[in-house]
Amino acid sequence: MSEHPVIEVDHVSKHYRLTGGARSLKAMALEMLRRKTSGVKILRALDDVSFSVFPGETLGIIGSNGAGKSTLLSLLTGTIQPTGGKIQTRGQMSSLLELGAGFHPDLSGRENVFLYGAIMGLSRKQMQERFDAIVAFAGLQEFIDQPVKHYSSGMYVRLGFAVAVEVDPQILLIDEVLAVGDSAFQKKCLDKMQEFRTQHKTMLIISHDLQTIQKVSDRILLLDQGKIIGLGEPEAMVETYGGLNRKRHAEIFQREWGTGRVRITGVEFQNGDGIETDKFMWGGALNAIVHYRAEERIEQPVFGFSIADNHGRVVHGSNTQIEGLSIPFVEGEGAVRLHLNDLPMAQGHYLFSFSSHSEDHKENYHRMDNCFPIVIECSKEFEGYAYMPSSWSIES
Amino acid sequence: MLKLVSEIWRRRELLWILVGRNLKLRYKHSVLGFFWSLLSPLLLILIYATFAAILKFNVGRPNYLQFLVIGIVIWQFLSMCLNDSLNTILGSANLVKKTAFPRIILPLSMVLANLANFLLTWIVLFLYLLFSGMHFQHIEFLAVVLLAQTALCLGLALFLSTCNVFFRDTEHILGVGTLAWFFMTPIFYPLKDQLAFLPDRLEWLAFFNPMTGVMWGYRTVLMADKIPDVSVPLWFPSISAAVCFVVLGIGLVVFQKLQSRFGDEL
Repeated sequence: MSEHPVIEVDHVSKHYRLTGGARSLKAMALEMLRRKTSGVKILRALDDVSFSVFPGETLGIIGSNGAGKSTLLSLLTGTIQPTGGKIQTRGQMSSLLELGAGFHPDLSGRENVFLYGAIMGLSRKQMQERFDAIVAFAGLQEFIDQPVKHYSSGMYVRLGFAVAVEVDPQILLIDEVLAVGDSAFQKKCLDKMQEFRTQHKTMLIISHDLQTIQKVSDRILLLDQGKIIGLGEPEAMVETYGGLNRKRHAEIFQREWGTGRVRITGVEFQNGDGIETDKFMWGGALNAIVHYRAEERIEQPVFGFSIADNHGRVVHGSNTQIEGLSIPFVEGEGAVRLHLNDLPMAQGHYLFSFSSHSEDHKENYHRMDNCFPIVIECSKEFEGYAYMPSSWSIES
Repeated sequence: MLKLVSEIWRRRELLWILVGRNLKLRYKHSVLGFFWSLLSPLLLILIYATFAAILKFNVGRPNYLQFLVIGIVIWQFLSMCLNDSLNTILGSANLVKKTAFPRIILPLSMVLANLANFLLTWIVLFLYLLFSGMHFQHIEFLAVVLLAQTALCLGLALFLSTCNVFFRDTEHILGVGTLAWFFMTPIFYPLKDQLAFLPDRLEWLAFFNPMTGVMWGYRTVLMADKIPDVSVPLWFPSISAAVCFVVLGIGLVVFQKLQSRFGDEL
C-alpha cells in the first residue's frame, strides 16, 4: 500500500443543472427569461468526493440508487467531466459501464470486438492475438460473424464482458454487471475477477449484491446522496449501509398528524442507567421522556405509545389510560415518562410511535407514527419477535 | 493543435475502423453494396442528360451538361457531410456516454468515409468527362481544391455535430440553410451570371462563399478551356480557400471546447 495510488480523486464534484425536458431554442429562451424570477435547480450527483485507490486493490462501491456510484465511474472513465476537483488515473483502464456498450447492432460480433479493442486503444495485431480467447470466453464460436442484433441478450452481455476483460487492462471498472447472465456465466465472471485479483490488478466494482461485493472487495466505498459516508473494511461498510437503509426504510412508515392542541415536541430515550441512547439490551430497561406543549388548557389528555418492527407490524401498544395514569389537565410545556422494564423484543430494529389524544379517543391531538427508530440487541436466542418468559422441566 | 494531431495519429486504428464502419453501414442490407457508389453518379448523369435534352435548359451553352454534373457531384460531398454531421455525435450516444476516446474521431471518420465515397464517384465522373471530350489541365491543382473542400466539410461537420447535441433545432435550420446555399453557389448556373449582380470592382466578394471558389477550382481543372464560364484572377478563389480553412479552425475550436459536455447532454 506504500505505492503510488493508481486512481486519485481529489475533491471531485459533479453537478447537474436541472432543466425540464428536451432542449430547444424555445426552451432556452424561456429558461433565460425565467432565470430572473426563479433559481435553477442544481442536482449534486457527487459532492466533494476524495479518495485514492492503490495498485492491486479491489474497491467495492455501494450505495442506494442515486447515490452517485455510476456518476463516479463515468467520471473515472472520462465520459463526463467533473464540475470541480481533479481526477488522476495511471494505467490503461477498461470500463464496463454497460456490457456491450458501443456495440453496433448491424455489425458482426467480430467487427464489434475489433471496434471495442480500438476504442480501448489496442492495435489490430494485439486484438488478433486476443480474439480467440475472447470468443472462447464468451462461448460464441458459431455466432461471431452474425450481426449482434441477432444475439440473445445473454450472448450480447457475454461478448461484452469477454472483450472488456480480455483487453487486459490494468484497471477494470465494473458497474453492476454481476447481476446479468445465467449462473454459469456469473460464476465465470467471478472467477475472472478472482484471477484479476491474483494478477495484482486494480478493480472498482459497483454492485447491489452486498454479499458478493463484501467477499471480493479489499475496501468498500459507501456513497449516499453524492457524498462519501465511509471508506474502509467491507464488513463495517456493509453494516453501515444496512443501518442507512433501515433508516430510509423506516421513513416510509413515518406519519405525523393530529389537531395539534397538545403537541409532542420531542422524545428522549434513556437506558436503565439514565444514559440517552437509541440502543437497548434485551431484558434491560427503556425510559422515554415525552415532551409536550399545549397552547390552551386541555382536560384529561391521554398519552400513548406503540412499538412496531421495521416492517411496520405493531409488537405492542398501550397508553396512560390503559395503564391507569390519570392526567387532570395539561397547559403549556411539560413531560410524561414511559417506563419499560425487561424489554422482551428480539434483536432488531424497531419503531416507536407516540400519541396524545382525548379521553374519549374522538380527537387526536398529535400522533407521531413510527417516528422514533431504536435498536434492540439480544444475547438470548429465541424465535419470534418477543420473548415470552418460559421454563422447562422434566416430567417425571 | 499539434497535440491533437498526434492524439488522432495515436488512435488511427480506431479512426480506420470507424471509417470502415461508416462505409459498411451506408450500404447495409443492400444487394449491390459498394456498387451504389459508382451506380448513383452514373444514374445522376443519365437523369440530368435526359432532362437537359427534354427541357432544353442548356440553350446556348456548350458543355453545359458536363458543367452541371461536376457541380452536382461536388456539391453532394458537402451536402452528405452536412446531413451526416447531425448524427455523428447523437447517433453514437452509446459510445460517447460509455467509453472514452478523443471525440473528434467521430466527425473525422464520418468526413473521411464521405471523402472515400466521393473519390469513388470520381471514377465514373472522370470516365464520363473523358468520354465526352473533355481534357484536364493542372491536374495537381485538384489536390489543393480537394483539400480545401475537405477542410470546409470537416469544419462544418465539427460545428454542426456539436450544435445538434445542444440544440436539436440545428437539423431544421440546416435543411433550409443548405437549400439557400445551393442556390447561392454557381452550380446549375455559371459564375458569370452571379458576378453580373456585383459591380466589377467588387466581384471578389462572391468568393467569400467558399463553395464558389471550390466549384471554380474543380471546373477549371476538369473542363480546361471548354469551360462555359468567365475566367477570374487566381486570388479570387484563394479567398474561398482561406475561408475553408478558417471554417475548419472555428469548427475545431468549438468542438474541442464543448466536447467535454457531450456526456452530460446526451
